[in-house]
Amino acid sequence: MSEQIVIVGFGPVAARLVDELLPALRAGQVGLTVIGQEAEAAYNRVLVADLGVGRTTPEALALADAAALVADGVDVRLGVKVRRVDRARQSVILSDGTPAHYDRLVFATGSRPVIPNLTGLNPDPAAPVLPPGVTALRDLRDAEVLRQAVAGRKRVVVLGGGVLGLETALAAAEEGATVTVVHNGPHPLGRNIDRGGGTVLSASLRNCGVRMAGNARSTGVEHNAPDGGFSALLLDDGSAIDGDLLVLSCGVRPRIELAEGCGLSTGTGILVDHRLRAHHEPHIFAIGDCAEVRCPDPACIECRTARGPSGLVGPGWRQAEWLAEYLLLLSEGAAEDVDSLPQLPQEKPGVVVLKARGMNMAVAGDNSADPWDEEVLTAGAVNGRPRLQIAQWADPEHGRYVKMTTRGGVLEGLVSVGMPRTAGELVQLFERGAELPTDRSLLLRLDGPDQLASAGASNNPESTVCRCAGVSGGKIAEAVTGGCSTVAEVSASTRAGTGCGGCHEDIKGLIEKHFQGAAA
Amino acid sequence: MTKSADTHCPYCALQCAMTLKSPAAPAATGLTPAVQPGSGPVPAAPALEVSGRDFPTNRGGLCRKGWTSASLLQHPGRVTEPMFKGPDGVFRPISWDEALGRVTAAVKDARARHGADSVGVFGGGGLTNEKAYQLGKFARLALGTSRIDYNGRFCMSSAAAAGMRAFGLDRGLPFPLEALDTASTILMLGSNVAETMPPFVQHLQGVRDAGGLIVVDPRRSATAKFTSDGGGLHLQPLPGTDLTLLLGLSHVVIHEGLLDADYVQARTTGFDAVVRSVNAYWPERVQSVTGVPADLIRETARRLAAGARRGGSYILTGRGVEQHVDGTDTATAAINLSLLLGLPGSARSGYGTLTGQGNGQGGREHGQKADQLPGYRKITDPAARAHMASVWGVDESLIPGPGLPAVQLLKSLGQPDGVRCLFVHASNIAVASPDANAVIRGLRSLDFLVVCDFFMSETAAEADLVLPVLQWAEEEGTLTNLEGRVLRRRQAIQPPAGARSELWIMARLAEALDAPSTYSDDPETVFEELRLASAGGAADYSGIDYAMLDSGAAAYWPYPAGSTGTPRMFVDGFAHPDGKAVMTPVAPRRRRTSMAHPDPAAKPMTLITGRLLEHYQSGAQTRRVAELLAAQPEARIQIHPAAAAAMGITDGAEVSVANERGEVVCRAELSTAIRPETVFLPFHFPELESANRLTEAATDPISGMPEFKFNKVWVRLAVATPITSLLQTAEAS
Repeated sequence: MSEQIVIVGFGPVAARLVDELLPALRAGQVGLTVIGQEAEAAYNRVLVADLGVGRTTPEALALADAAALVADGVDVRLGVKVRRVDRARQSVILSDGTPAHYDRLVFATGSRPVIPNLTGLNPDPAAPVLPPGVTALRDLRDAEVLRQAVAGRKRVVVLGGGVLGLETALAAAEEGATVTVVHNGPHPLGRNIDRGGGTVLSASLRNCGVRMAGNARSTGVEHNAPDGGFSALLLDDGSAIDGDLLVLSCGVRPRIELAEGCGLSTGTGILVDHRLRAHHEPHIFAIGDCAEVRCPDPACIECRTARGPSGLVGPGWRQAEWLAEYLLLLSEGAAEDVDSLPQLPQEKPGVVVLKARGMNMAVAGDNSADPWDEEVLTAGAVNGRPRLQIAQWADPEHGRYVKMTTRGGVLEGLVSVGMPRTAGELVQLFERGAELPTDRSLLLRLDGPDQLASAGASNNPESTVCRCAGVSGGKIAEAVTGGCSTVAEVSASTRAGTGCGGCHEDIKGLIEKHFQGAAA
Repeated sequence: MTKSADTHCPYCALQCAMTLKSPAAPAATGLTPAVQPGSGPVPAAPALEVSGRDFPTNRGGLCRKGWTSASLLQHPGRVTEPMFKGPDGVFRPISWDEALGRVTAAVKDARARHGADSVGVFGGGGLTNEKAYQLGKFARLALGTSRIDYNGRFCMSSAAAAGMRAFGLDRGLPFPLEALDTASTILMLGSNVAETMPPFVQHLQGVRDAGGLIVVDPRRSATAKFTSDGGGLHLQPLPGTDLTLLLGLSHVVIHEGLLDADYVQARTTGFDAVVRSVNAYWPERVQSVTGVPADLIRETARRLAAGARRGGSYILTGRGVEQHVDGTDTATAAINLSLLLGLPGSARSGYGTLTGQGNGQGGREHGQKADQLPGYRKITDPAARAHMASVWGVDESLIPGPGLPAVQLLKSLGQPDGVRCLFVHASNIAVASPDANAVIRGLRSLDFLVVCDFFMSETAAEADLVLPVLQWAEEEGTLTNLEGRVLRRRQAIQPPAGARSELWIMARLAEALDAPSTYSDDPETVFEELRLASAGGAADYSGIDYAMLDSGAAAYWPYPAGSTGTPRMFVDGFAHPDGKAVMTPVAPRRRRTSMAHPDPAAKPMTLITGRLLEHYQSGAQTRRVAELLAAQPEARIQIHPAAAAAMGITDGAEVSVANERGEVVCRAELSTAIRPETVFLPFHFPELESANRLTEAATDPISGMPEFKFNKVWVRLAVATPITSLLQTAEAS
């Protein structure tokens, strides 16, 4: 009988895993059950804010088609929760009372928004009941709440200076809402970004019409709206920021209660090893936001520096792809093949790219060191390891800032604000671990105007004027001296201008130059 | 008497119209006296005067290759007699009777000892329609082999497979080239027309003036430079990330509501699956993979959508995005984008692929592909087989089944169950195939290799027998240009006495092999048979004849008898049974590439191969034109100054480019037009400068297209000349 795989959770990461397993399912190699708490099959949560400002449609967000999956033979259960996992019987029991047997169980339960401890908000993180006018912008229903506020050009207060908060704020402001971002510290993005980048970023956000309330500590929410809903965010200095909708963007926390309930080891997330297996449980795996890769080996160097779940979807998708391959090898039962699959490579620190129109920002890695910070720069330089090096460019007047933190020429951190092409290059250099050009300014000039645009024919007689026929300026000048006075005559005599015709203006210029010279 | 002929250029698929004239007096026979032997690369006086002729595609323009094409007609290096390589490895002329006798014996011997499939045929996209057609027939009926394929597998197979999948039919440009003149937006992906077909550029002037030319190329190519000064946009993705970029463009089209919903609803299937498949490719994520800024991705999508509502939008793909192991999927992603925008089959917009070789279009329609019968029919389709059996007057069981695509065919050379005796036509596989070193080893392991060529190309040099054939100005026939328009090639000059047409060679060999059916050496007779063979097929030529073409008619296939042809395709529907275009969701596949580090001084880089303006394909012809060789005498590796500086490489320095397949040593050309992690090498040169010694013979699972544009190499300054080091190694061992 084919091996039965059960996936708990049906978000973007689970959808990728299902996609990767489909061929084997169609071939009868595995059976597959997917259990989703929401009524919809997986959709792209990353774009929920776009949906909330009316920039896209729910249909366009779909990542899976439940009906098509059912037709393929997937057992899709939507709108139900898993009540508990019976590890001894290898079975999950659903909220509707039905059980589902598993040979392999995959947790893809994702994360839930952090609800800050504010007076007027229910502090129970497991069962948050948010008052009217407050949303954490996580699912399609939340998006609808935001959409109504934006469509009504209401005042939106975004609590939290993380990248998701900034994206929501920018999009909502551009679509006509009045938006204030409330964040801790002097600039948004906290420790992801350095002071210079954060300052330029703040200014750029203001230029885009977003009000920035920095160094703010919020204490509570006020519900004085006619419907009893949100009316203001209260700050610890006694002031209040009035608004019609409060968007909470204070980060996410892995959903691990179910895993804890069945006795799996957990940290921030469900602890898994480098093959995404739950500790000491060969039948259970975890991927995506709910998984924390930290193996049981206390001597593992990789795990010593490992962080918790990144909250980004990219690593989750890579885990899903890897796990699909692993699960298929397991289902084939060939131990050698299973062991020969290289373990999942360690994730690099996440790259944060601001999703926004008309504004560009990317940060990644550690950007805390400054160019003149000798102590910090040399701190890790032992046993022949090179020291950190910093290259920096600041042009706050024009909203541009770049910082490259490198070791041995390879990026360990990057900040780019207002320099789209530079950001594009730096991010993929960072992702590939590739060495930067020694002349770092090369990376800054990418956003400049096109270098050496064809400014007419060059004065160098050796240089080619007509590329198609390979004719130099000198040859053309000779022909003109020899009596040719029109482009057609030059073409007949030298073949210049007889291909694509793009050099006719240049030939004309050379003819005119000759006759001006003669007249002078 | 002075003879003048209106014909078309011998080189690329643009097939520029030209007129050939014999210069005044002495060429009464069409032949000037033979050039002195031993005259080296000194150009022979052209036998003919070449001039551009007004025509909708080239409008009288020619590039340097076209202007100088006649200098090859009486080139001193031309092969003018059958040349047989003796046991001493030296070629000596033999008579045609002896040559044909040797080929016949070799074929019979291979067949008797190893079976019919031990005889293989490798054709080319430069053959006329008549020759391509008869070559397929000759292979299957006279040789009885399934082992025929051609070099178009290295060019057009991915776009062709994607076009078939989406539209049910593949014609490179399903609209006349002039349609581009009035477009508002043109997106060109992986095509450098400014170098590869310069007169084409005239058709981009309108869109450049409108600021709507968008070029996608990792290099700031000559074509990409047209986008400066307000001509448009240049998107410079990392090599190998085109598919991701295209998915990002489709994502923007869907999420920003730029799609043509009515068109998608009425004319396509598969929309929902495509929506899901591109969902994960939002612009910022695509930026992280490709290096192309998110806003530039959005801007491109918006311009395409806006253009479609104004003067028209076109999406054109070239080898840069197609010559990959995921080339079919990449072309499919481009087609999906065009379908979302409602471009194909509309009045003023479209999708097209720019065919490369002279008869790259016709060459892929008439049966020289391993999986295909004439009329673009599938060889596995019982109805197609029955039709061809009746046209050929043979029993259907005599037609073999599908053979092997080019790369697999070449890998089988000399192998136990592989090809032992090979015919090569219009192709220089020793230079132009991926993993060329392995191909050369394969050629050397054959029992018998016969090459039809007019020069002693690198492939011919490996042959047991070289058969001299005609050049373009010496023959009649038809070719089908990149628009699917059928053109007449006309004779202007008498061929050298010892050269023969491939049609003649096939007819004589068929006779000697007692082959079923008939084989003519007259092009028009063959074309008449081709008309019958193609009738009712996808590429239907049945309504076209020589008289019509000679009258100047613009004949675009499909052209069934009684119709007026099809300048613009898919207007009323696509070629699938329900008339709808099929959108197929595609996604980038993970690639595992690992490579030993041969040398600590070398840096890993990505190699792109491609072409120069002055040369054509393997260079077998253009390297023999003195003017072109003088302009581009050797391969030069293009490298960014920043990357070069880090390796101590200066402009003109000798550089070694190597990987596990081979090594190239050539001079460096420093250029900021290339990305710092990428190097570019033209593939026109042989031996130590042969780029294809480095390319991998990995192929696209659907089309069989090899990976030419994304290969890992190690680059370093060449310390010693490799020949010396090779000699030292040889002595030491």
